[in-house]
Amino acid sequence: MHRKLPMYICFLFGAFMLVQFFIPHRTSTAIYETILDWVQIIYAFSLLVGVALLIKHHAIIATRPSAKDRPYSGIVLGGIIGMFIFGIFFGRGEDTAFLWVFKYVQAPMQATMFSLLSFFVASAAFRGFRARNTQAVFLLVAALIVMLGRVPVGDMISGFIPKAADWLLNVPSMAARRGIYIGIALGTISTSLRVILGIERTYLGGSRG
Amino acid sequence: MSVNETLQKRQHIRRIVFILMALSVILPLIFKIGLPLKTTKEVRDVFEFIDSLPEGSAVVFSFDHDTATLPEMIPLAEALLRHSFRKNLRVLGLALLAEGAAIGDDNFRRIGNEFGKVYGEDYIFWGFRPQVTVAMLGLGEDISRVFPSDYYGKDVQSYPVMEGIDSYDDIAGVISIADGDMPVHWINYAQARYGVNVIPAVTAVMATTMYPFLQSGQIAGLAAGLRGAAEYEMLLGKPGRAARGMDAQSSAHLLIIGLIIAGNVLMIIERRRK
Repeated sequence: MHRKLPMYICFLFGAFMLVQFFIPHRTSTAIYETILDWVQIIYAFSLLVGVALLIKHHAIIATRPSAKDRPYSGIVLGGIIGMFIFGIFFGRGEDTAFLWVFKYVQAPMQATMFSLLSFFVASAAFRGFRARNTQAVFLLVAALIVMLGRVPVGDMISGFIPKAADWLLNVPSMAARRGIYIGIALGTISTSLRVILGIERTYLGGSRG
Repeated sequence: MSVNETLQKRQHIRRIVFILMALSVILPLIFKIGLPLKTTKEVRDVFEFIDSLPEGSAVVFSFDHDTATLPEMIPLAEALLRHSFRKNLRVLGLALLAEGAAIGDDNFRRIGNEFGKVYGEDYIFWGFRPQVTVAMLGLGEDISRVFPSDYYGKDVQSYPVMEGIDSYDDIAGVISIADGDMPVHWINYAQARYGVNVIPAVTAVMATTMYPFLQSGQIAGLAAGLRGAAEYEMLLGKPGRAARGMDAQSSAHLLIIGLIIAGNVLMIIERRRK
């Protein structure tokens, strides 16, 4: 029963959400809105569980004298607790400690990490982007055209480059992208139906599904 | 050549490449070049969409990105917010990623102050909601059910700016400032089901994800990357930080192209030697 009950609930709610789209009745809409509220509440609690597990995990590491990652776990815990105190007790608007830490500590750090990508892209472009076969030549030429076509200097070199870049993006790239989208949509529909009908049960846990 | 020497040579080359990349970004930011930039149709479509809205229309800004992509996202958000405030639209904001809440609120206040706009009268920031699909669907039914209170915990319906705004029916468009595929969710849940106009303002790498929706007419326009922001600044007649960044982006692209060509030339020379 402990496996069947969640399956029945899943079928009931899944089938209702599917059918209610076609029933614009007041009662149907009211139930639909209530379900949306429930989902948000459940999701908010799942976030709390996530935070609690994160704190537990790092608290174990931080209190273990032999752990070499102790300082990092300490920083994570300090960050969570500090931002919680700043946000809850001192507000989150203009001229608050919360916003200051967010703007001048978190944002620059994350932006720095992300900007390092440009260095690795440059290094990889030099060492790895080689025209070793016909397919690689096509990829290389397409990449060069799109890179040049997306910046003003491409237009300065020749008016043809931005047009060629647009064509690459709007025809071959778009065709591939549409194929991927259609595949994703079909996969989503089939997986949803399998979950609603109880064929796909891995979300219940256990290896047999 | 020994293995050690080869590794040392590689390290040396990497260092040179890193220095060249740093210079190619820093120098154009210090010494302004001012390369001419043409506007594209998709950005003009966004501009014309906002420009055509009557005064007092409501637009929603959804800050669907984190801090890692701020340098690319903020110029886009600033340009679109400036246009919306200049047009005296009612500007409503939310975040579907937790970090977007602080980013959105800060931008609303900063750009709102530039135009002398008052919080609660001209604009409002609702805050963050988890579970994107449910939030998007919920906004189509009743906004105050999804956001009973704003970012500061005050009743959303108590603000004058919210007068007559209950659902997507009262909203002219949703602008998703995103570094991922959140605009696709907006299209799937808000546009397809409730018919609201969606305008993605995304990072350059996400542009190709949006083109199929642009071609099918499911989005009102597209502003992508620093270039999109720079074009929008030009359309506003006020070139700003995005326009300055385009010089750096051009030189960085040229450097990468140069490195690809150099790498391939070296490969051909080595092959011939063997």
